[in-house]
Amino acid sequence: MNSRSLALFLSLCLCALPVAAQMAKRAARAPVQGIDLVTYHTDVKDVVVLVGAFPAGDAFAGVGNAAIPTLTGMMLERGTSTQDQFAIAQQLEDVGAEITYAVGPQSLQVRAKCLKKDLALVIGIIAAELRTPALTAAEFDKARQQLVGMLESSLQSTDARSQEAFARAVFPPGSPNRPHTLEELLAAAKSANVDQLRAFHAAYYGPAHFTLVLAGDVAMNETAELVGRAFAGWSGGQAYLDGPATAATAVAAGHVAAPAGGEIRIPLADKTSVSVLLGQATNLRDRDPDGLALHVGTAILGEGFTSRLMSTVRDREGLTYGIGATVFDDTLTPGAWEIEATFAPSLLPKGVASMRRELQHWWQDGVTEAELALRKQGLIGAYFVGLSTTTGLADRILLTIQRGYDLDWLTTYPVSVEALTAPAINAAVKAHLDPKTMVLVEAGSL
Amino acid sequence: MSDYASSFGTLFLVCAVAAVGAAPAIAAPTADGPVEGIAFVQNLGGIEEYRLTGNGLAILLVPDHSAPVVTFQVTYRVGSRNEVTGTTGATHILEHMMFKGSEAYSDAKGNSVKQYLERVGGEYNASTSVDRTNYFATLGAKDLEGYIAIEADRMRRLLLREGDRQAEMTVVRNEYERGKNDPDNLLIEDVTAAAYVALPYHHPTIGWLSDIEHVPIEKLRAFYDTFYWPNNATVTVVGDFDTRTTLQWLKQYYGVYPQSPAPIPEIYTQEPAQTGERRVLVKRPGELGSVVIAHKVPNGRDVDQPALDVLDAILSSGKSARLYRALVDSGLALSAAAGTDLHRDLSLHTLYAQLAEGATHAQVEQALLAEITKIQTHGVTAAEVLRVKQQYIAADAYRRDGTAGAAAEINEWIAVGDWTLYVRFPQLVAAVTPEDVQRVARKYFAPDEATVGWFVPENPEQPSP
Repeated sequence: MNSRSLALFLSLCLCALPVAAQMAKRAARAPVQGIDLVTYHTDVKDVVVLVGAFPAGDAFAGVGNAAIPTLTGMMLERGTSTQDQFAIAQQLEDVGAEITYAVGPQSLQVRAKCLKKDLALVIGIIAAELRTPALTAAEFDKARQQLVGMLESSLQSTDARSQEAFARAVFPPGSPNRPHTLEELLAAAKSANVDQLRAFHAAYYGPAHFTLVLAGDVAMNETAELVGRAFAGWSGGQAYLDGPATAATAVAAGHVAAPAGGEIRIPLADKTSVSVLLGQATNLRDRDPDGLALHVGTAILGEGFTSRLMSTVRDREGLTYGIGATVFDDTLTPGAWEIEATFAPSLLPKGVASMRRELQHWWQDGVTEAELALRKQGLIGAYFVGLSTTTGLADRILLTIQRGYDLDWLTTYPVSVEALTAPAINAAVKAHLDPKTMVLVEAGSL
Repeated sequence: MSDYASSFGTLFLVCAVAAVGAAPAIAAPTADGPVEGIAFVQNLGGIEEYRLTGNGLAILLVPDHSAPVVTFQVTYRVGSRNEVTGTTGATHILEHMMFKGSEAYSDAKGNSVKQYLERVGGEYNASTSVDRTNYFATLGAKDLEGYIAIEADRMRRLLLREGDRQAEMTVVRNEYERGKNDPDNLLIEDVTAAAYVALPYHHPTIGWLSDIEHVPIEKLRAFYDTFYWPNNATVTVVGDFDTRTTLQWLKQYYGVYPQSPAPIPEIYTQEPAQTGERRVLVKRPGELGSVVIAHKVPNGRDVDQPALDVLDAILSSGKSARLYRALVDSGLALSAAAGTDLHRDLSLHTLYAQLAEGATHAQVEQALLAEITKIQTHGVTAAEVLRVKQQYIAADAYRRDGTAGAAAEINEWIAVGDWTLYVRFPQLVAAVTPEDVQRVARKYFAPDEATVGWFVPENPEQPSP
């Protein structure tokens, strides 16, 4: 996007409709071999960024071995049916290209960066790795060893332990966002076998619900030809899971052992900082009617240095290095809401009390129109700053599609933010959050 | 969540920064710039360098009109190397205090740097390292002037109040505590402290806890009054700006200051030669052990740095890298890396590996050293060197995507003392030969000059080292 076109985009975005035509010049979307392909041309020279995702995340383990989706994702970089991992790595490194995979709660995500001249090579390797990974027993043993090591490291991490406990407390069984415990994952990794990976790959890897976004020095015609050739004849894939309603927390619903006072404490020896989470499930997706209002209201409470939490708990009281509030895991399913902070063990009671005080004030009394006016301006400004790199642009497009919007949302988002009112935000907060039912998790030397 | 992060502990950024060549003398301003009172110094690789003649403020302009966004950065050439016993961590605390308000811009007035940048949607932060402190934001081009005004005001008109220091001290202390949660951070800190005896790189940038808690406001004030002057700073602007207008703003807001009344103090301490291997042991609760092997190598501007950078890439960049094959693929380690933390004075090269289950510290240490020995003995191949050079060509294109990345990289070259290496370093890498790589491997990795650290988790299930 050149300066002129984005400047026009900026100026038009608040008066909406002509923007779609502007975006249309840059964005193109078409089904190619069953893949939802999106390209967005920018003025950056030679650089192409690729992000894509399809449903093959941890939630698809179902009642089987919990480590299989992650292990399958880890094996993608370990060779294909025709080339070993080192031959592939050499081809990519010879041209400075990068391909990585990550497994999330629901998605298998692929990311790549390369020069325009190397796009055919990169797409070809991605296709081969997704379609025909080698999945050999020898490489499987190495991947499993790595996963076991990573999980063991997490056992001593205050952040990892608190996040796991929090997600299990707020997401009930059956929710795609509910993780297994680290101990369960460790046991699963140790007992997994390569046949399970092959079966998982056959069942879940395919073009159905695969969204692939390329941004930068790209054109749809050339890209579609490359993708069509590389993925020709590929079939299969599953739909994303839709989680059950989570009107109450899992703790409140009796799905986990109810701790006294809604508190979960995870003692870890010799830790100098305690990780703290306070929150609940929201029963709300981003695209639901109150979704945006809850996000913006949460930003006023806990996003950035001028948020209420940072300006009071950190700046005024000096109790923490970092504290913030966020809505998360609400892209595909109903999500959750949390305040996250760290405190020295000696300041923990005081810190948690301040956190609760600010939460109660925000929930009870709401946000003001003045706060909202400032936050709107900041959110819209940050949105456009985020679109100024190909990576930011590609990520935003993928997120837009995963949230269930069409690409027009890229232009209507600022308009939607601008239209919010303080009463609408305060009503959404009251409707979807209740401090009395929130779970508090503390991990560290307590 | 963005924060005023310190950048200490980024030892293993491969290919991120590395350096070269004896530092060329900063060229004297040779011609009038487009704005009176601002002299044009040079244009190198599309980057225009200027100097505010009245006070010596250095200015780097990097135009990029691909999006209506600009990154503005001020780099002060002061870091934890400028601290002494009792003031360790002062540079970093001062960085935090820079967000507590200046004469014209503060929370009380409703126009502080935080309030301004969050109102316009800027992405902003600050960071402190051993050789520099930087403040930066990426924001819409239309909002640039307002940010320049705030940055200029806090250069010399910071409030620096004792009440703010007290509240911020506990904030910094929690930052320190968070870092200490990770045993690898402790290991790197202890190895660094053992590797440097005389140079101030000995102490961590965040400081010793007792200094963080007790440094008085008067010492912070003295630190500020010593180092925060235009002649000790470089402004970098990357993105969609008009050169003449931007220079006019810089003159308007920064031109009101004189240069420092006293010369900026230089560090004259030199590190004595190391005459024997040093060893460090860190024991903490944990699950996986790790090994660090550190060697002091020349400053970031040294002519050998491009070859050292190629060496590190051959060792640890990607799956083709030697450490991956020898340690990770063999099942000895979960990860392995090589890299150099470039400094204005002696830099620190580190080899690192996290032990896989069943591997011992001794095995992993030997495996890391064996890869160095192989290169010392047999050298590297032309194909390996060519691969690194190709990666530099791609990286050169990638860094033109967006404005913040370029500003961050320029910042690190300013820190080591020569911003022109941002442009020249890739060219110098292009000239590296396999023989250069073998030569530097032989020159800088003597066993008697190593500092070896082991993190040994206190867990009975781990094999004893």
